[in-house]
Amino acid sequence: MGAGDSRPAWLRRLDRWVERLTFLVGGIGLAVMVLLTSWNVIAMRKILNDPIVGAEDILILNLAILVAVAIPYGGRSGAHIEIEIFETWMSKAFARWSLVAMKLLAIPLVAILAWRLFKSGGSAREFGEATQQLLISYEPFYFAMGAMIALYAAILIADLILLLAGRNVAPMPEPDGDAR
Amino acid sequence: MSMSLIGVIGLLVLFGLLALRFPVALAMILVGTLGTLCAQANRFIGLGMASDRAWARGWNTAMSNLSGEAFEVASNFNLLVIPMFVLMGNLAGVSGMSRDLFTAAHRWIGHFRGGLASATISACAGFAALSGSSLASAVTMGRVALPEMNRFKYAPELSTGSVAAGGTLGFLIPPSGGMIIYAVLTDQSIGRLFMAGVVPGIVLTLLFIGAVWITVRLRPEKGPAGDRATPGERRRSVAAAIPIVLVVGVTIGGMYTGFFTPVEASAVGALLTFVVALWRRSLDARRLRTVVLQTMKATATVFLIIIGAFVFIPFMSLTGLAGDMVTFLTSLPIGEIGVLIVVILIYMFLGTFLEGIAMLVLTIPVVMALATQLQWDLIWFGIIVVIVLEMGMISPPVGINVFVVKSIAPEVPMRTIFRGIWPFWFAMAVMIALLVAFPGIAMFLPNTMLGS
Repeated sequence: MGAGDSRPAWLRRLDRWVERLTFLVGGIGLAVMVLLTSWNVIAMRKILNDPIVGAEDILILNLAILVAVAIPYGGRSGAHIEIEIFETWMSKAFARWSLVAMKLLAIPLVAILAWRLFKSGGSAREFGEATQQLLISYEPFYFAMGAMIALYAAILIADLILLLAGRNVAPMPEPDGDAR
Repeated sequence: MSMSLIGVIGLLVLFGLLALRFPVALAMILVGTLGTLCAQANRFIGLGMASDRAWARGWNTAMSNLSGEAFEVASNFNLLVIPMFVLMGNLAGVSGMSRDLFTAAHRWIGHFRGGLASATISACAGFAALSGSSLASAVTMGRVALPEMNRFKYAPELSTGSVAAGGTLGFLIPPSGGMIIYAVLTDQSIGRLFMAGVVPGIVLTLLFIGAVWITVRLRPEKGPAGDRATPGERRRSVAAAIPIVLVVGVTIGGMYTGFFTPVEASAVGALLTFVVALWRRSLDARRLRTVVLQTMKATATVFLIIIGAFVFIPFMSLTGLAGDMVTFLTSLPIGEIGVLIVVILIYMFLGTFLEGIAMLVLTIPVVMALATQLQWDLIWFGIIVVIVLEMGMISPPVGINVFVVKSIAPEVPMRTIFRGIWPFWFAMAVMIALLVAFPGIAMFLPNTMLGS
C-alpha cells in the first residue's frame, strides 16, 4: 500500500483481483489478436494464399471477451469519461450527494444491461446467433459479457458504499511502468 | 406528445446527467434506452394501439437494443483496430522510440532559434504515426522534451505550449483513435479516413512549426538556439530512428498501398513495435504489465462510449430531432459555408468544456444528418471535425492536453500554459480555413489511392 493510498483493505483486495484478471485476460487476448492476425495476413494470405478458416470468428470472440473484461477494469481505473468541470461550482455536500444519486441511477442501469446480456445469451442458440464460418454459438460470450458487466455493477456498488461512508471514490493507482 | 419534444427532453436529461458527472457512456445508454421506450410507445399509441401493449412493445425494442448493441459493438471486427493500435502506441511509449525521434529532430534543427520547440512538434508528429492518442503523445514527448527545453532556458509558455499542441497531432495523424470512432459512427471507411488525415497532418505540423518560428521572431528570448550537432551525431540519430521509420513505413505504408487492411496493419504494427521494444531491451515484466493494463483501460473507455453511442443514436433517429435541427440550420440565410462555420463554432464552444471523444459521440447524430443533407463529403468533414476536436484539447478551461502537460511540468502555472497554446490554436484555425478553401488537401490521397 502506498503512503497516499486511502483505499480500505477490502477495496484494495478487489482492485488487485480485478487488475490481475484484466492483465491475464488482456495479455492473452491481445497476444492472440496480434499473433493470429499477423500470421494469417503475412504467412497464410500473402505467402501461402491460404487464409486460416474461421480466423475472423476467433478474433471477434476474442475481442468480445477483451472488451467485457476491460469495462469493469475501466470502472475502477477511472477510464469511463465524466464531465467534471461543473463540480467546481458545486458545494461539497451537493457534489457528494449528487454523486450518490448518480451511483444509485447507474447501478440498476448496469445491472439491467447485465441481465439483458444473460437473457440474450440464453436465447442465442434458439435464434441461431453464431459466428459466420465456424458457427460457434454466441451463448457463452453473451454470458461472459453479462458476468463482467455485473462485476462493473458491483464496482459501482463499492463506490456507493465508499460515498455513503463519507470517503472519496479514488480510482486504483496507475500501473507503475514508465513511458520513456 | 410529439416525437421532437421527446427528443428535446431526452437531450435535456442527457446534459443534466453529464453536468452531475454521470459517466458519458452510461448517460447515453440510459437516455437512449428510456428514450427508445418512450418514443416507441408514443409512436404505437399514435397509431391507435392500446396503451399497455404500446408500452410493452416499446420495452421490448429498448431492451433488445440494449443488449444487442452492446454485444454488436464488442464483437465488431472493424473495431479490432482499437486495442491493437492502442497497444502499438503504448509499446512505442515504453520502448524509448519517442526519445529517439526527439533526439533525431533535435540534432537536425535544435540549433535554430525555437529549434527545440520545432523538434518537439516534429517528434510529436512522428510519434503520432505510432500512437492514436493525443494524451499518449503529449505525455510521452513531454517527459522527453520538456527537460531539454528547460535546460536551454526556453520560455515555459513556448515549451509547454509546443508539447500540448504537438500532442494533439496524435488525434489527426493516423492511426487516430478519434478517426476510428468517427468512421464507425458514420459508417465510413477507416482506411480512407486515415489516408485523408495524412496531408492535413503534415500541413498542420508545418503550421505549428511556423507558429514557433513567428513566436521566436517576435520574442527571440523565448526560444534560444541549442547546440549544433556534429555530422556524426546527426548520422547516429537518424540511424537510431530507423526502426521507427520501418514500423511506420510497414504499417501505415502497407495500408496506403492496399497491402494491409486497417485491422491487419494494426496487428502487424503492434507486433513490429513489440519486436523493436524487445530488441532494444526496453521491455521488462513491469513495463509489459503497464502496457497491457493501459491498453485495456483505453479499450474500456472507447468501447463503452461506442456502446453508448450505438444505443443513443437510434433514439435520436426515432425522434427525428436531428432532422429538425438540420432543417432549422439549413433554413438560415447564411449559405452552406455559413452553416459549416456555425457547426465549427459550436464545436469550438463545446470543446471548452467537453472531452473530445464525448463531444464526437454526442454530436454525431446531428452533424451526420447535416453533412448528408448538405452533401458534404463525410471523409473531408471528418478531418475538419477531428481538427476542431483537437482545438478543444488545448482550449481553456478544460483542455485535456494542458492538464497532462501540467502534470509533467507542475512548476508552470496553468495560465502560462494556456497563454502558450494560442499560436498553435490559431494555426489549427488556419488549417481548417485551408481545408474549407481547398478540400483536396484531405481528399487528394484517398481519391488517388482508392478512387473517388
